[in-house]
Amino acid sequence: MEAIWLYQFRLIVIGDSTVGKSCLIRRFTEGRFTQVSDPTVGVDFFSRLVEIEPGKRIKLQIWDTAGQERFRSITRAYYRNSVGGLLLFDITNRRSFQNVYDWLEEARSHVQPHSIVFLLVGHKCDLEPQRQVTRQEAEKLAAAYGMRYVETSARDAINVEHAFTELTRDIFQLVRNGDINIQEGWEGVKSGFVPNVVHSSEEVTKSDRRCLC
Amino acid sequence: MASQVATSSSQVATVPSSLQTTTAASSTSLSLSPMSASPAKLSPDELELLAKLEEQNRLLETDSKSLRSVNGSRRNSVSSLVSSSSASSNLSHLEEDSWILWGRIVNEWEDFRKKNEKQLKDLVRKGIPHHFRAIVWQLLCDAQNMPIKDQYSELLKMTSPCEKLIRRDIARTYPEHDFFKEDSLGQEVLFNVMKAYSLVDREVGYCQGSAFIVGLLLMQMPEEEAFCVFVKLMQDYRLRELFKPSMAELGLCMYQFECMIQELLPDLHIHFQAQSFHTSMYASSWFLTIFLTSFPLSVATRIFDIFMLEGLEIVFRVGLAILQMNQAELIQLDMEGMLQYFQRVIPHQLESGPDKVILAAYNVKYNAKKMKKLEKEYTTIKTKEMEEQVEIKRLRTENRLLKQRIDTLEKESASLADRLIQGQVTRAQEAEETYLVMRELATVRQQSEEATAQLALAQSTIRDLQQRPLLKGIPRYTEESILQLERELVQARLKEAESQCALKEMQDKILDIEKRNTSLPDDTNVVRLQEELIAVKLREAEAVLGLKELRQQVRDLEEHWQRHLARTAGRWKDNPRKNAVSELQDELMSVRLREAEAQAELRETRQRMMELETQNQIHSNQLRRAEQEVRGFQERVTMLTAQNKGLHVQLQEIKRKQAEIECKNKEEVMAVRLREADNIAAMAELQQQISELEIQKEEGKVQGQLNNTDSSQYIRDLKDQIAELKHEIRCLKGQRGSSMSNQPAFDGIHIVNHYIPDDESYHSSDEDTGVGKTPSHLDHQHSSISRIRLHPSLGLGDTDSEGDDDGQGLVLSVPPNGTHKHTTV
Repeated sequence: MEAIWLYQFRLIVIGDSTVGKSCLIRRFTEGRFTQVSDPTVGVDFFSRLVEIEPGKRIKLQIWDTAGQERFRSITRAYYRNSVGGLLLFDITNRRSFQNVYDWLEEARSHVQPHSIVFLLVGHKCDLEPQRQVTRQEAEKLAAAYGMRYVETSARDAINVEHAFTELTRDIFQLVRNGDINIQEGWEGVKSGFVPNVVHSSEEVTKSDRRCLC
Repeated sequence: MASQVATSSSQVATVPSSLQTTTAASSTSLSLSPMSASPAKLSPDELELLAKLEEQNRLLETDSKSLRSVNGSRRNSVSSLVSSSSASSNLSHLEEDSWILWGRIVNEWEDFRKKNEKQLKDLVRKGIPHHFRAIVWQLLCDAQNMPIKDQYSELLKMTSPCEKLIRRDIARTYPEHDFFKEDSLGQEVLFNVMKAYSLVDREVGYCQGSAFIVGLLLMQMPEEEAFCVFVKLMQDYRLRELFKPSMAELGLCMYQFECMIQELLPDLHIHFQAQSFHTSMYASSWFLTIFLTSFPLSVATRIFDIFMLEGLEIVFRVGLAILQMNQAELIQLDMEGMLQYFQRVIPHQLESGPDKVILAAYNVKYNAKKMKKLEKEYTTIKTKEMEEQVEIKRLRTENRLLKQRIDTLEKESASLADRLIQGQVTRAQEAEETYLVMRELATVRQQSEEATAQLALAQSTIRDLQQRPLLKGIPRYTEESILQLERELVQARLKEAESQCALKEMQDKILDIEKRNTSLPDDTNVVRLQEELIAVKLREAEAVLGLKELRQQVRDLEEHWQRHLARTAGRWKDNPRKNAVSELQDELMSVRLREAEAQAELRETRQRMMELETQNQIHSNQLRRAEQEVRGFQERVTMLTAQNKGLHVQLQEIKRKQAEIECKNKEEVMAVRLREADNIAAMAELQQQISELEIQKEEGKVQGQLNNTDSSQYIRDLKDQIAELKHEIRCLKGQRGSSMSNQPAFDGIHIVNHYIPDDESYHSSDEDTGVGKTPSHLDHQHSSISRIRLHPSLGLGDTDSEGDDDGQGLVLSVPPNGTHKHTTV
């Protein structure tokens, strides 16, 4: 599929292990949900095109990262070239919510001199009975750090598109206002118009192959 | 390859007797875990049977695996196993030979390994037969008879802190493999081994990715053995280093691998660099899972065979071989394309079998020495980085501390500025006050001059007054004159008292005199009275004469009477009538006598009355004179009291004026003392400021050690400031001294003198506060800012970095028109 995109944004998805980062990204990029997926060893890569306004398409390159703390030595190299980020926690796992600040700190200390627009994502919202983190407190935390908050479910495909497109819109707005500039040697934002091969989710599902770690 | 097979078969032929294993062994070898039985000798017939059984077994296995491969799973690579096994079925005799050979090798492991190292290498490269893997892997890593094996069951009873995470990951390890299906035995044993290891090696604990290696081991052998092999792999195959929480070894591997690419595939390296395609993007899982998560399982298993013998080197070799084989395609692609190529094309490519890759891998130039060198390089780089990071951390904390200090200093400086302003205000107020005081002083001086003039006048008048009695004009100072006046006053008062006493006495005397006066005759009328007396005496004499005459008359009459009586006495007897007439005549005669006597008596009393009247007149005259005299006295007394009063009033006037002057003087002294106290307070404040500034200077010195160039300027500023402040204090001290010395003899000139230096100091301080201080304050701020700026630039080497972001935690950047905020990190 030939597609013209206005900008290319590179996003990073972070959060504790098993909060469902890979599943969320797979749902977004491949349109499917896998009950079990390999733990991400190091980093994984996905991409998709989103249309934020009619005729305005943005290409998203998404880095999926390993959640286990020791992998941070690998993943921290990926903050610098990211313009946006989804910070996931599992609403059924309070610990993962408590670690949100650590993730922000981790990102903050490795993103310099650039900055990342973060979206706080409470994942697995389909598991309402097992909820350990209330929406209110998550919204409060998000507000404290100037983030939006979205609750998603990869299994039931709730808010997945919304989460990514909202973040993309926000970044797009910042780019258009000149708050974020395209810089040589920085991969966070790139401008396009150049026809480029984009592997949409359909294409991925059509092709019989899977993303291997 | 054929030749290799031939040599191996010839070897088998040369030693057929040794290749005898028991049937028991063959039966176990059919099971999934054949290693538990020690290989024994077999007869050729039995071997043949075994081979056939094996063949059947394998066919069954491939059937199930090919079924799975249809699902498009990652582990569809098993299909390659199908092809290889199907090939092996065609070449069953070769397979048989390799079997016999491996059986012999296993039997005589120590010997064979020592003597035929190269052959073993070749054999392993070709792949260890499925049923020998368990035992050969154990032998290769020397995992037999490990004491830790005995602890395994104990370890399973314990609980590991990583248990939760392990449990979460177990379901995600080989989820599409039959052995590890949900709630299967495979998952349980995988969990057991991972848990046991996390307990044995607390430092590493559990690392995501390692479960794939353990899973592979469990596909070949029971859990105790898999555990031992895993422990060995961790210990001796660098895996432990790879999985350590720091993952430093992985970084080293990435570095070494990148250097190999740079050396062996320079074009591709340049392309990677241009696309900012980092080694970790595709190769981290290669190293962490020995291709198990990246390649089809069959291929990965073959590579794992070699890994068991040769260690991580094979990962480098295979990785580089893959890059080499795909160089042409990769160079055409951008970063994303390359990533997808690695994700999709390469695993697919390898489904055809691992031999090509393995062959290519062995053609890769792997320089162990170079690797060692690279390791050293990397460690130096890392230590440097670590040091830098430590340094950065240190600098950050320092920066933070400095910022805090700057904050406090700014606060202090703000408070100082406030105080300065307050000081200026108070100074202005003081100046105003001094101006007022000056004016007052001028008026007072004028008044005092007037007063002194008046005093002089008064003194002169006093002198005049003094001169009058003393006939001497001694020029005196005002004080003396005052004393004199006081003395005079006392004297005057004494005099006054005396005079009052005298007055009283006089009044008493007057009263006495008045009393006496009533009894005293009038002096002035004495002559008149004497004259009157003479007249009266004359009259008395006349009266006496008249009296004598009257007495003569009386005597005449008496004689007459007597004669009459005598004549009448005879007659009487004769004629009673004649007697009666003679008697009547006698009676008449005696009345007449008595009448004359009464008249004489009357005259006498009249005379006496006259005398008394004259006497009275004399007395009243005397009284009048005395009264006149008293009046004169009284007049004099009133005149004297009036005079005295006048003097008294004058004296009081002078005293009042003196008191006024004294009062004014006192007020002035008080004002001066107040100002002096104020100045002392100001001086104390300034001294405090100096001490504060000295503290600041000390801090500045400390900062200066950190930052020589900027702080020296700062210190110089501070020193200048201190010097200025000291000068100010000295001025104040001088002032104070002078004011102290001049205090008792307080006069106008002194005030003027006092005021002028104050004014000067005022101006000078004004210069360094109003004009000089503000820039210096700014300088201070500038320097501090430049100091702050310097740190991030030191720490980060990034001058573009937003200064605000530094050490502030998270700064929120809000899109101006957006309704939502975003975290800027």
